[in-house]
Amino acid sequence: MAARLGSPRLTWPARAALAFAALIMLAPLLWTLLLSLKHNADLVGHSGAALRPPYTLANYGAIFGNSLTLRWLLNSAIVAIGQTAGVLILASLAGYAFARLQFPFRRTLFVIVLLGLAVPSQAVILPQHQLFAWLHLHNSYPGLILPGLVAPFGVFFMTTYMRGIPAELDEAAMLDGASRWTIFWKIIVPLTMPAQSTLAVFTFLGAWNDYWWPLISATRSDMYTLTVGLAAAQMNYAQTSGLGYLMAQAVFASIPIFIVYIIFQKQIVRAMAGAAVR
Amino acid sequence: MKRLAAALLLALSLGSCAKPDHRTHIYLQRFFGECGAEYGGSTDVAKAEGECGIITTLINRFNAENPDVHVDVNVVAWPGYPQLTAQVAARDPPDLVTMHEGVISDYALKGLLEPVDDYLKAGGIDTADFTDAARAGVTINGRAYGLPWDTHGGLFHVNTALFAKAGLMRSGKPLLPNTADELIAQAKQFEARTGKPYLIQSNVGDPAFAARNLYTYMMAQGAVLFPDAHHIRLNTPVGVQVATFFKLLNTQHLGTLNMDTPAAIAAFINGEGGIYPTGTWMIGSFQQEAATPGRPLYKSYAVFPYPRLWGSHVEYVSGHSWVVPTHQRTAQQRNAISRFFKFMSAHNYDWARTGHIPAFKSVLADPRFKSLPHRDDIAPLAEIGRPLPSSIQRQNAIEGIVGEEAAAAFTGQKTIERALSDAERRVDDLLAEVE
Repeated sequence: MAARLGSPRLTWPARAALAFAALIMLAPLLWTLLLSLKHNADLVGHSGAALRPPYTLANYGAIFGNSLTLRWLLNSAIVAIGQTAGVLILASLAGYAFARLQFPFRRTLFVIVLLGLAVPSQAVILPQHQLFAWLHLHNSYPGLILPGLVAPFGVFFMTTYMRGIPAELDEAAMLDGASRWTIFWKIIVPLTMPAQSTLAVFTFLGAWNDYWWPLISATRSDMYTLTVGLAAAQMNYAQTSGLGYLMAQAVFASIPIFIVYIIFQKQIVRAMAGAAVR
Repeated sequence: MKRLAAALLLALSLGSCAKPDHRTHIYLQRFFGECGAEYGGSTDVAKAEGECGIITTLINRFNAENPDVHVDVNVVAWPGYPQLTAQVAARDPPDLVTMHEGVISDYALKGLLEPVDDYLKAGGIDTADFTDAARAGVTINGRAYGLPWDTHGGLFHVNTALFAKAGLMRSGKPLLPNTADELIAQAKQFEARTGKPYLIQSNVGDPAFAARNLYTYMMAQGAVLFPDAHHIRLNTPVGVQVATFFKLLNTQHLGTLNMDTPAAIAAFINGEGGIYPTGTWMIGSFQQEAATPGRPLYKSYAVFPYPRLWGSHVEYVSGHSWVVPTHQRTAQQRNAISRFFKFMSAHNYDWARTGHIPAFKSVLADPRFKSLPHRDDIAPLAEIGRPLPSSIQRQNAIEGIVGEEAAAAFTGQKTIERALSDAERRVDDLLAEVE
């Protein structure tokens, strides 16, 4: 990557330093993985037992032994994919409007959206919960997905990105008779794919890891997401007497995120690099 | 399209052929974890182990013995109160909930829990059989708001091998102190002979540890912790005396410092100290270590309630209970709840195998209970146990504040007077917000 950007080739000391830094970053992940492969009883006295065999997959077996684990996995996937798709659609449309269209109160509305960035979700949790109770949406997929669609960061991100695309492209397309929708769909959206990928990953991560809203909205175990379900499956003092199982849960819950990152790695790196040089 | 419609019709007709469910459903919400993989189909309570295994098997057994009732179980992340509050707000609470006795007042005083006297009466449960600690834990203004299920509190978990090395065993039992001065003297003797700390303490990230110590030894001296429902009194001569004692233990290096709960548990299991004051819930894990050859605790474990150091022998305790959130229910559901209470009362011994103290006097006297490891030694907790006054709300939050400030006083991060007065101010502010 660095070579492609024209920077000098890395020297051996620099490579060694990078490898060392990478090792430091990987260490907690490897530690988690090793702990997850040990029986709980082996770790109660000293977690250093994780460095010595024998290892076992018993903790992972226990996770799958719970009949609801796959249901929680499915719920998390539906909620995360639903929120991601929704945020991409809404943020792209809103971002295009704020970046390209002229309409009354455009600036005021954009400021209101920006103010949304300053409001923590906890501050609105009570009225939000009451609203969803009134709509009878708790313990449902819409109840889990809809709050996540309020994404001021997504709107801000897409607006900023689209403003960076030359307006001449729109004008040329208009001269060729393209409608607003065609310009948006055929020209702007393809050009924003790196930003879409980045926003998708951030949104997916946020939705997948969300704990607070699913905890109080999904109060029946068949509607739990994976984070809530795995927490519910823990016994008290899991950090001491159930450490192996706890770590297996952590590894299990992070696998889908890892897969998403692997799939979108190129887009994410491209978007980050693009943002850096802009 | 026609094929799709036909398939849908077929599916609908097959669905309508499903056996109708005439059972009465009651919706139970609990913590204690999920262990369906191991106990999902088991009804053999005697073979179940641990909180999760025993509670899961008990509910399976109830369903098996009551074919006209089905308990639908919802397992929540400990302690489950954010979910319960959300369910109450959404007017969709469960029919039965596991609740710590210190939390009952938060819900009961707002009318969110039903008094359960009628359920107990219908279930034929003799409330006179409740232990004093259990009765106090579920009673508010003379009415029971839950079926008490156990009593739990702090215990002195003792490494008897180190105690023997320190010359602190008498007739095969650890010699525990009867006064604060005796404790200091024994601690010094212990450290001199073993080279290890007398007390293992989890003063970091475990506010319950310090709060338990402060509450227990203030109660023992007759201190009124809550003069009314909106104020706490800790910065008193008694409070200062107790805090000064625990600070002295630390300044003289007779107890470990800077340990959180996992570190303290690991230290005790590895024989790195004489006594670990922690709860009833650790008995099972420590006993397992004591029964495993080659482990530092092998055949070297004993456990007792906190010793009397001042005044009378009392100890701060809490307990688990079954409560019934206020909600419209059918007569069949109410009957099912009564039967569930009766069943759970009849199986209180099985629950006591977890290490918690039974909520019923008859179980305390049961030879089966007495024959369990260490139970004779810890049974007095049911008599000396004292919960906080049931009129006090926000007991969990209060414990967090008091524990945080007490730990700061014990470890010298704050002066004792400052820490205790800060605790008073913070708790009073909290209680000023409750109705």
